[in-house]
Amino acid sequence: MAGSGNAHLRPEALLSARDLVVEFPAAGGRTVHAVSGVSLDLEEGETLGLVGESGCGKSTTGRAILQLPRPTSGTVQLDGQELTELDEDAIRDVRPRLQMIYQDPISSLNPRRRVRDIIAEPLFIALENVSRRTAMAVWQDRIGELLQNMLRRASGVMRIVGLLASVAFVLWILSETVEERAAEPWLGWTQVPAAVIGFPSLALLLLAAAIALLLGLTWVLLAVMLPFSLMSRQFGEVSSAVGLAGVVVTTGASAFLLWRTWSSFGGWAQWLNSGGLSLLTAVLAVWLVLSMVKPERAGASGVATTLSAMVVLQVFYVAGLDGGIKLAVLVASAVIDTLLFRWVLRCYRANRDAERERAEPRVREVLEYVGINPDDALDRRPWEFSGGQAQRLSIARALVSVPQVIICDEPVSSLDVSVQAQILNLLEDLKNLMGLTLVFIAHDLAVVKNVSDRVAVMYLGKLCEVSEPDAMFAQPAHPYTELLLAAIPQPDPEAELGTERIGGELPSPMDPPSGCRFRTRCPLAAERCAAEEPEMREIAPGRFVACHTPLIGEPAPARVDLATNAEGAS
Amino acid sequence: MSETAAQGSPWAGDPPLLEVGDLRTTFHTPVGPLAAVDGVEWSLRPGARLGVVGESGSGKSVMSRSIMRLLPKSRVTSTGTVNFDGVDMMSLGRRELLEMWGPQLSMVFQDPLGSLNPVMKIGKQVGEGLRVHRDLSARAARSAALELLEEVGIPEPHRRIDEYPHQLSGGMRQRIVIAIALACSPRLLIADEPTTALDVTVQAQILDLLEAERAERDMSLVLITHDLGIVAGRTDEIIVMYAGRIVERASTRTLFRDMKMPYTEALFRSIPKVTDDSHARLEIIGGQPPQMTDLPSGCKFAPRCKYAQDLCYAEEPALIEVPTAVPARSSITDSIDDVESDPAAGVHLYRCFYPVGTPEAAEAFERNIASGRVSEAGVVINPT
Repeated sequence: MAGSGNAHLRPEALLSARDLVVEFPAAGGRTVHAVSGVSLDLEEGETLGLVGESGCGKSTTGRAILQLPRPTSGTVQLDGQELTELDEDAIRDVRPRLQMIYQDPISSLNPRRRVRDIIAEPLFIALENVSRRTAMAVWQDRIGELLQNMLRRASGVMRIVGLLASVAFVLWILSETVEERAAEPWLGWTQVPAAVIGFPSLALLLLAAAIALLLGLTWVLLAVMLPFSLMSRQFGEVSSAVGLAGVVVTTGASAFLLWRTWSSFGGWAQWLNSGGLSLLTAVLAVWLVLSMVKPERAGASGVATTLSAMVVLQVFYVAGLDGGIKLAVLVASAVIDTLLFRWVLRCYRANRDAERERAEPRVREVLEYVGINPDDALDRRPWEFSGGQAQRLSIARALVSVPQVIICDEPVSSLDVSVQAQILNLLEDLKNLMGLTLVFIAHDLAVVKNVSDRVAVMYLGKLCEVSEPDAMFAQPAHPYTELLLAAIPQPDPEAELGTERIGGELPSPMDPPSGCRFRTRCPLAAERCAAEEPEMREIAPGRFVACHTPLIGEPAPARVDLATNAEGAS
Repeated sequence: MSETAAQGSPWAGDPPLLEVGDLRTTFHTPVGPLAAVDGVEWSLRPGARLGVVGESGSGKSVMSRSIMRLLPKSRVTSTGTVNFDGVDMMSLGRRELLEMWGPQLSMVFQDPLGSLNPVMKIGKQVGEGLRVHRDLSARAARSAALELLEEVGIPEPHRRIDEYPHQLSGGMRQRIVIAIALACSPRLLIADEPTTALDVTVQAQILDLLEAERAERDMSLVLITHDLGIVAGRTDEIIVMYAGRIVERASTRTLFRDMKMPYTEALFRSIPKVTDDSHARLEIIGGQPPQMTDLPSGCKFAPRCKYAQDLCYAEEPALIEVPTAVPARSSITDSIDDVESDPAAGVHLYRCFYPVGTPEAAEAFERNIASGRVSEAGVVINPT
């Protein structure tokens, strides 16, 4: 065929994908036709093997089912629910039921996290979202997401502007201080950067400083609110009351401090005079600049960001005060900051531990299912495991949210044969134990045959043959299936190699052949194959093939309109 | 193999091209010495094809690198003899080695993208060896490279010669790597998992290409892989490695017909076969490959072996020869050229106290099931 058609689809399927099309834009305005009208379905408890060479679109098909990314066109229904029309949030609610196992187990597991956290993650993210989401938590999620997005999207120009502005702000502070001292002939070290960069365009600097102040303050506000929202997002318990209270209190406190700073504007000159304090401010501002360069760290080190942001604000505030009081307030705020910091940290840790504890029985259970001893594994990191063990962890992660369908994308291709056998047996056991429905993507037909109830052969974005495996292997119907079969290495020195037929490479998916896409490599290709795309049709009970002249069964009946076209052409 | 056997010459008393004797390679790790290759001995005649099979970590790649002298200098010691056509590889200096790599021995690595220079045009990479070893001019090297690209089946070599590796598919890249390895017509090519990263179809093409080139150039080939299926139809002799040791060595046909080592049997049984029904239970090798810095005393495979007895844990079996392995089976192979003319069939070494297929092994298996050490399916449940 590699042709289209839906003759092989069944009415009662758990997962049904129809006419999936996935196209990617390529350089020069061209289009990569990765998947061009593939229809698949799975009944409950069935394993569908999806087989083909690299670049045939089998992985893209698997991902399109998961909406990663969404297909260009076509429909995907899981249990009657249409997935292509759902928005991001709704899709996230579906994902616990639709999981994926990737080819390379090591790179699909975060090397810096412990096994217990990796496996428990789907529970925290997806299940919490679905089952225990309160109105308040939703609100917080939204805010948190909004802020996080603002920071993330502040990439490129925005970040550079923010950075430059903040640098200018620092220089401004320094240069002001220096100016106050300008009467002295001596050039202090603080003057050097200002002299080099700052003085030539003091006016510009002042403008930049104004922007910096605005940006800086906005950012400080964001930084203050963000960690709480993030924390509440990940750690349910704190989320509702404490989290919101935290947001309100810090926002209020920040606003108050800002207002006080502003109102004490009169004292600025005095503050700027005290060189030590402005230096301190400068250091903190530099810290802010650094966090601005890496806003993604704001989540991980959010607590620290909050604290330092507050310290900056306090410094602003304290700057407007007089001598003795200034010192007292400074000391008091330092104590308060320390206590606050410790409190936040303690809450954070307590919640993390509580969540871990709550998830642990379930994590242990799935680890035992996949044949890993939880006592050994829980506190280790993925890179401490061999390839096969790591693939077991990936399977455990997919299982923990009790999915209905798992898409396995070449789960054994990077493993040794001996380990491959272990993983194949494991998938088979789990399927029987948990009633899983699997899509098994691979390039080795022998592996696919071992696990599948139904096999679909793909070539260059189209389906060639869909059939029950034993019949397909006994007598392939599509010439491409035959070619794939010939390519399997036989562990038998007496067997004929039969590999001389395997010629050529997959044509470019940017410019697929007309008619049947396999015709350029097909030994049976005729004129008709170039002119007319074969449709999927049933050639024997349970055997569907998209080929004009299949190796078994009747050749496809000629279509009238195409026959006349051909006449006209000749 | 029938071809070479028919020619008679590769086996008939030519001196071996490569002789490896008591090769030991030890990495000095923070947790102690790691003997990645531990006393390996084999030889290869000119034009012969040797398969080296084992799981990840069995030492097969380290062995090939030790032979090529490609190991790092610090924290590794390699002892033993590697005699390549009268030249003692172990005593060569860097300069002499450079003269060996290319025209004498050459290597194809697993990851084609990793073994190609991403910022050098393909033509230049293919021609580089020729310029160094044959003193060819840039122009002559380019035309030679063009010929080589055509030979290894790169379509449109005129266009491809000026492209960079990332512009090619995985199979094409591996063809380029092979072209580089073949450029100076080496007498021995070591292919280290040349197809592991590739599709089955591309794998078949690459293996066919290697075989065609080997036959044409009368080159010797060492094919390293973890998949017995790959070496089955494409080698004359097979070495099975485990924990840095050779555990079985036999001519390909003998090995598949009469495997003695339980490890070889387990590897063979774990391959999914097209002839099996779908959902057929695969036999697995229980447990993990051994911790190489803390090897068990006795047979290294014993903790994972379904036949293992107390003796296996206590004492390491030596590599012994199968007595009169051949005649007993000659009746099965009536269609193939008779076994007597296959001189390699005589050498069948294995390292086991309870070789597969003997009544002792069957008894040992029964005992293990009875004692609960092994499940009915032959998987070790309780290794101690």
